[in-house]
Amino acid sequence: MRSKKLSAALASTGVLALLVAAVATGAGSATAPVGSGKASKTKSICGAGTGKKATGAPIKIGSLNMLIPGVDFTTMAKVAKGYFDCVNDNGGIKGRPIQYIWYEENLDPAQQRSLARKLVESDKVVGISGNTSFTECGTNWRYYRSKGITVIGAGVQGECYGVPNIVEVNSGPRYSAIAAAQLLVKRGAKSLVIASPDGVAGYSDPGVGKVAAAAKIPFKSFPTKLPVTDANAALLQLMQAAGKGGGIILNFTPDTAPAYMKAIIAQGAIDDYLWGSTTPIADNSMAKAFPQFDNKMFIGQEFNLLNAAAGPDTRLMLAVLAKYTKVSPQAFAQMGFLVGKFTTQALLNTNGPITVKSYNRAVRNLRNVKTDILCKPWYVGNALPYHIPNNTNIGATYRNGAVVRSDACFNIQAVDREIAQTRVWEKKFKLNTAK
Amino acid sequence: MHSVAFSVFGVDWEFFKPYIVIGLATGGAYALSGVGIVVLYQATGVLNLAFGAIGAAGALVSYWIVNHQPGVPEWLALGVCIAFGGVVTFLYGVVLGPAFARREPLVKMMGTLALALILLGLMQWRAPQGGAFFRVLELPTSEHRYELLGATINLTQILALVFAIVLTVGTTLFLKHTKLGTAYRAVATDREITATLGVPVRWVEASAWLGSGIVCGTAGLLLADLFTTLDYTALSFDFLIASLAAALIGGLRSLTATLIGGLVVGLVQAVLTPYESVTQYRTTAPFVIAIVALLWLGRHRVVVMTKAAR
Repeated sequence: MRSKKLSAALASTGVLALLVAAVATGAGSATAPVGSGKASKTKSICGAGTGKKATGAPIKIGSLNMLIPGVDFTTMAKVAKGYFDCVNDNGGIKGRPIQYIWYEENLDPAQQRSLARKLVESDKVVGISGNTSFTECGTNWRYYRSKGITVIGAGVQGECYGVPNIVEVNSGPRYSAIAAAQLLVKRGAKSLVIASPDGVAGYSDPGVGKVAAAAKIPFKSFPTKLPVTDANAALLQLMQAAGKGGGIILNFTPDTAPAYMKAIIAQGAIDDYLWGSTTPIADNSMAKAFPQFDNKMFIGQEFNLLNAAAGPDTRLMLAVLAKYTKVSPQAFAQMGFLVGKFTTQALLNTNGPITVKSYNRAVRNLRNVKTDILCKPWYVGNALPYHIPNNTNIGATYRNGAVVRSDACFNIQAVDREIAQTRVWEKKFKLNTAK
Repeated sequence: MHSVAFSVFGVDWEFFKPYIVIGLATGGAYALSGVGIVVLYQATGVLNLAFGAIGAAGALVSYWIVNHQPGVPEWLALGVCIAFGGVVTFLYGVVLGPAFARREPLVKMMGTLALALILLGLMQWRAPQGGAFFRVLELPTSEHRYELLGATINLTQILALVFAIVLTVGTTLFLKHTKLGTAYRAVATDREITATLGVPVRWVEASAWLGSGIVCGTAGLLLADLFTTLDYTALSFDFLIASLAAALIGGLRSLTATLIGGLVVGLVQAVLTPYESVTQYRTTAPFVIAIVALLWLGRHRVVVMTKAAR
């Protein structure tokens, strides 16, 4: 009898313990959904941050992203979609979810033209956000303008930074290369040499030439056919042009740059030259793979560092990447996140029904949008003939398997008239003056 | 002691000579693949277009083991690439080889192209490329570097060249002086008559597939390192073109000419690099050489137009 009572007591205690454990575990796992809550100086949220799924009629946003051997720009769209999914899980835009429709294009103008028309005329998107390509800006900007569309994207070619209806979140290869050139000149480069994909070299490389001219040192550009199948010979050509003590800038994505970096190591040439790069290789996985370049690779970085200490937007981006995408933290992810953030901001700012006209008006009115991912607030600036809102970079390098800051925010050298004019407009119209 | 200053078509010799070293190192890898292709073609009549894809897939498997199976010794992980090449090629040859044996050379070739595309699809599915992600498979031999004529080459590059030479000499001697080698030559000459003479044709062909597969796996392993990143699309096709050009220079027959052809393709590609007017087109060198080789091979061919043909 006694033992029965003891057993019953033990069983009751066990059940109670299990209940307590279950409640405790449940309480522990009931963390707030990603992007929910109230926005503050230390916390960024997705859209309204309600933590509730949006259920209304979808708002359609479209994008075209290039994918060719050696270059993958679909990452921007994947991350922008992740951000929109986060917005949709947090109340959407006034209860309506964002439907992000993006197509892959393969550097074929006919395909670019037809896909742009499909997005606008068949899919009925209200806006275009996230486009990234070597040539799509040039192919479609007139068409978008005829439809009253202002594109938010991540640019590569000259038209992306030279027409009234395309605004990019990034500086692009020309300005990032200028920034890298500034970093190398600051460190005493005796010459400047740059290798870029042949599709963008004509636009991106002459800016470095202007930096070299200003510094009174020799300059040479090497347009490069992708994919690079003979990195050792290609590298030898760069080194011979630069001469020992010269600065060599690699203007490639992580699909191609590792081929050169491995060849640099193989040639034992790390210490004989100053090495620079544009933004795409400011990636922790690259820093881990190439410890030989610790403090020896100087990157014109268009965005802030990829660690949580950078600020609330970076923390939210890391959470969005982890929950909604399979993309590792990298510069392309920052571009996709910013596209998502600025597009959402425009949608939230739209007055009345969301149409092509009302949404794009809201896009054009964006100004002083703060984010810790950029050195200065971002803007579109209504009625400007062209837009270069991201014209301030940081210097970055590799250290102990991570990308770290080597130089604080600095202005991209105004070797181009467009940069000088942009700074005049910024001051005149107070476009990025918010603290 | 003064070095003699002269130029090669306007490029200073001091600048020019490192490209010779780099070109020969790359050419060694092309030659290796070319010899593997010719050996199989000689024994089975199949021009294996899956040669690059099989090697690339093997390298990808080795990469996965090296990076995700920490308990496996590195030598074993790298050896898997060679074994993979041997097994996949052998299985293809044993299972589908007999079915294609009596078909036209073009049909046999298309069968291997199908295998290449299947492997490429599988690689894309299981290990997508792009997305700012890259893979590097580095052999321990690449850490040993040597200076030569102003260029730095590593032991892997030297091994590729040495292996190509050894394979060429070894296979030539094997074909001339062994019973199996004689059987290979007999099968290559006339499969039906060889079979009627009691030679186990299928066994002979299977051994050729296996041998070629092992060469294919070895080439894949070396090329995955020499190519600097494990870009399996480029390994499957870009290197295949270069290797085919080497094989075509050898008339799909001569191993020595294939070896020389591989070296020539690598050399031409590299020495064009310092010439600004053509440097951007240097990667097309294998295609141009392949076309020239095809025209040269077909120079004695006479086309007869009959009534029926019209």
